[in-house]
Amino acid sequence: MYPALSRRTGRLAAVLALSLTTALAAAACGAKEEAPATASGVAADKATSLADFGGMDGLIAAAKKEGQLNVIALPPDWANYGEVIEAFSKKYGIKVNSDNPDGSSADEITAVKTLKGQDRAPDVLDLGVAFAISGAQEGLFAPYKVAAWDKIPASQKDAEGRWFNDYGGYVSIGCDAKRVAVCPQTFADLKKPEYKGKVALNGNPTKAGAAIAAVYAASLANGGSFDNIQPGIDFFAALNKSGNFIPVESTPATVEKGETPISLDWDYLNAGYAKQFAAKGVDWKVAIPADGKYANFYAQAVNLDAPHPAAARLWQEFLYSAEGQNLWLKGFARPVLLPGMITDGTAQADLVSALPKVEGEPSFPTPEQNDKAKADLVANWAKALAG
Amino acid sequence: MAALTRRARAWHGAVLALAGLYFAAPLIASFVFTVDVPGQGLTGQAYTQILGAPGFLDGLGLSLLLAVATIVLVLALVVPAMVAVRLRPGRLGTVIEVLCTLPLVVPPIAFVAGIGSILQLGPERLSRTPLYQTFLAVQDERFPLALVLSYTVLALPFVFRSLDSGLRAIDVPTLTEAARNCGASWWQVLVRVLLPNLRSSLAGAAFLTLALVLGEYTIARILTFETFPVWIVKVSGSEARLSVAVSLLSLLITWLLLLALSSAGTRTTKNED
Amino acid sequence: MPTAVTTVSPPVPDAAPTASGRAGARPRRGSATLAALPLLTFVTVFFGLPMIAVLVGAVTVTDRATGTTTLTADNLTRSVQGAYLDALTSSIKLSLVTAALGVVLGTLLAQAVVASRLPGLRNLVVTASGVLANFGGVPLAFAFIATLGISGVMTELLHLTEAGWSLYTPAGLAVVYLYFLIPLMVLVIAPALDGLRPQWREAAANCGATGWQFWRLIGLPVLGPSLLGGFVLLFGTAFAAYATAAAMVGSVLPLVTLQIADALSGNVLIGQEGVASALALDMVVVAGLVMAIYLPLQRRSARWLR
Repeated sequence: MYPALSRRTGRLAAVLALSLTTALAAAACGAKEEAPATASGVAADKATSLADFGGMDGLIAAAKKEGQLNVIALPPDWANYGEVIEAFSKKYGIKVNSDNPDGSSADEITAVKTLKGQDRAPDVLDLGVAFAISGAQEGLFAPYKVAAWDKIPASQKDAEGRWFNDYGGYVSIGCDAKRVAVCPQTFADLKKPEYKGKVALNGNPTKAGAAIAAVYAASLANGGSFDNIQPGIDFFAALNKSGNFIPVESTPATVEKGETPISLDWDYLNAGYAKQFAAKGVDWKVAIPADGKYANFYAQAVNLDAPHPAAARLWQEFLYSAEGQNLWLKGFARPVLLPGMITDGTAQADLVSALPKVEGEPSFPTPEQNDKAKADLVANWAKALAG
Repeated sequence: MAALTRRARAWHGAVLALAGLYFAAPLIASFVFTVDVPGQGLTGQAYTQILGAPGFLDGLGLSLLLAVATIVLVLALVVPAMVAVRLRPGRLGTVIEVLCTLPLVVPPIAFVAGIGSILQLGPERLSRTPLYQTFLAVQDERFPLALVLSYTVLALPFVFRSLDSGLRAIDVPTLTEAARNCGASWWQVLVRVLLPNLRSSLAGAAFLTLALVLGEYTIARILTFETFPVWIVKVSGSEARLSVAVSLLSLLITWLLLLALSSAGTRTTKNED
Repeated sequence: MPTAVTTVSPPVPDAAPTASGRAGARPRRGSATLAALPLLTFVTVFFGLPMIAVLVGAVTVTDRATGTTTLTADNLTRSVQGAYLDALTSSIKLSLVTAALGVVLGTLLAQAVVASRLPGLRNLVVTASGVLANFGGVPLAFAFIATLGISGVMTELLHLTEAGWSLYTPAGLAVVYLYFLIPLMVLVIAPALDGLRPQWREAAANCGATGWQFWRLIGLPVLGPSLLGGFVLLFGTAFAAYATAAAMVGSVLPLVTLQIADALSGNVLIGQEGVASALALDMVVVAGLVMAIYLPLQRRSARWLR
């Protein structure tokens, strides 16, 4: 009786396991599907410009049919993306799914790779240029040239259209005027003893783009160049030794608490915080240091396997229209088409004058200089700051 | 314990007082931060905003769902195995102990590095096979099975330890033998004899797993699922006080739940005496 | 319990009475393995596969443009040099120190709780420990910034900055780590302390032993296995901690978990997944070594307790 019982249990277990596996496999079984073609015969995910859709109307129709757009790593208060998303959504009636707003550029690339073929894969990406270059090399992006393509400077786009700069800003010094008597204006100011225990970066330079930019800017202010980031590392090492620099990551929470009254960050972020902080008892001022001007642009890209290819391309057209660029301008970011827009008057004058003041034109390191600087930083930062 | 000298009692009192201060101070400081807004004085706004905060209920719901699924899975896996080991001691016991302690050796960040590679494998190499959809289903946003499986692995050591001490306390072979002699089937032995005696270990294991899932941030963050801890950090960027208030509340509620459970446990045991 | 088992058992509808009632009381060897099979398969698949992926990632490199994968020792050698080696050593140092402190302080606290006569205190502390052992990351970091940071409540109250205190140092991070390590130790050691019967204390006192002698000769040896097991657990937890350190001292204190996260999910490093996997492998090796040293010690000292 008992041997029979254990045989029965054994068989029961086997049957259960088998049916469970079959059920699981059947419930989620199947290979990938292919994308449908547009009116002009070119599939939406292979379209490289407006012409492939038969003009703007064709694109809007195709996008509306898809009905949705997946974006990633777009915080609402970053370059006014909250309003950009809302404006796009309302104008075309397309639902925008904003995934992982705090994500980094690496997260975006990971999402493209991991979610490939899923409905929630990101359609469009906004990421650092180095990541855009690397992603293009890996074949992750679809080439697409927006209507305003020719107006984007050649040095700020990929020749094949796989990525193109969107907006940028300068490294700036944000400061709480309520907790700091005289706000620092330059990198040299930061060394003053009155700022002891007050200066913070908004992240770890080995991880956060704005933080490494601050080190790069400090290097420019202290005799370094695009080829040499070491003076910047030394500057922060000295600041850390004197106690002016605190390693805690500055966040809105730490600023409101008063722990990080001086924060080095992108100017569009610092300027955007001013309004947000005013209600919380913080008087936030922004200054772009004249001795260390470092500007950086981010890049747009379209996912080669975008689940909503027409909506993705419509999004790009929207961003590079006067309306989209002005919305970024409203977020205190400098859109890539700004010089042209100022000349032909499509830039909103009040927004332009609200930008943090800076003299001169920005110059950028080449990708090779950037890569070398990053490698130097990762190798030397921790040791230098450990003292 | 009349043997406790006055000096020992004073020492214990001092230890308890210091510990109380150490553990309470950060919580109190956080609480003060949530209610004291410079320029507005004291306000309970951070707490009243919680229920309406976008993503709060979704994040909390997802984490609770994951916790329940993890608890069910981990207990279903571990309980039969450990009972079998107690009834038939031998090499199997060592194997199970080693396997259940191994996850401790692997930090979550290392574990998620491996998981990430595997999940990327699906779309890259397997897009033409039926397994493709399984890979996608495992990452469904509304119920990421990938997270349940990861959390089960993470919970194994703690559940094992909890059940191990519980099983040692009751005499499993004798109980089983007696029940089998009365003619009970294996299933009845498990459900009607052993499990009721393991109630407090099971409850302890379940609550440790709950606390683990509600506090696990790294894996969910790198796999980009918006669970409760991930939501707390995300919202701390825009609403610092709300985020801190939510953390404090979740700590408090979990603690009260655990308290209720453990006092219910002791009350039942008292009734059974 | 009755020592005689009657051979005539009352008729039960489910099963026919059998002469050898004992034979069915123990499961056959095959059934025992069957009961454990789900667990064994689960761990092999869902734990083994990611580990294999880490191993593969650590020893191979994939060319980005062509997609070809080749074996290489480059990742592993890089992961134990330069900045990465610094990070590994400071992680190990920090974990050893905080684990040792956690064991001592946790045991003291648990002893105070177990010995206390306050009703319900034990319940309160054990449940609170269960909750706090999992409290970490950004909320914990912020709680300590609010308390002991430069503008923290305690710092300003007690003028700690003038006294030379800074939260953003390895010492400060250790203080924060203890917040979840001590509760973890309390959870581990409280059941063992229960096993330390008060009669033994009284018997020792009757033989003329002082409190210190009691602990040295009886208490600590009995607690030995749990202390060692607790140390291993605390080391593993401190070694694996990531989010808390990232929020507080990420820029100045190199820790290996931070570097893995930087490589996997940052805005600066590209294509470093191989080094990340190598670092992950290093972490597993270190933690495995600690376990391999302490667990046999623990089993040996537990043997005489059985």
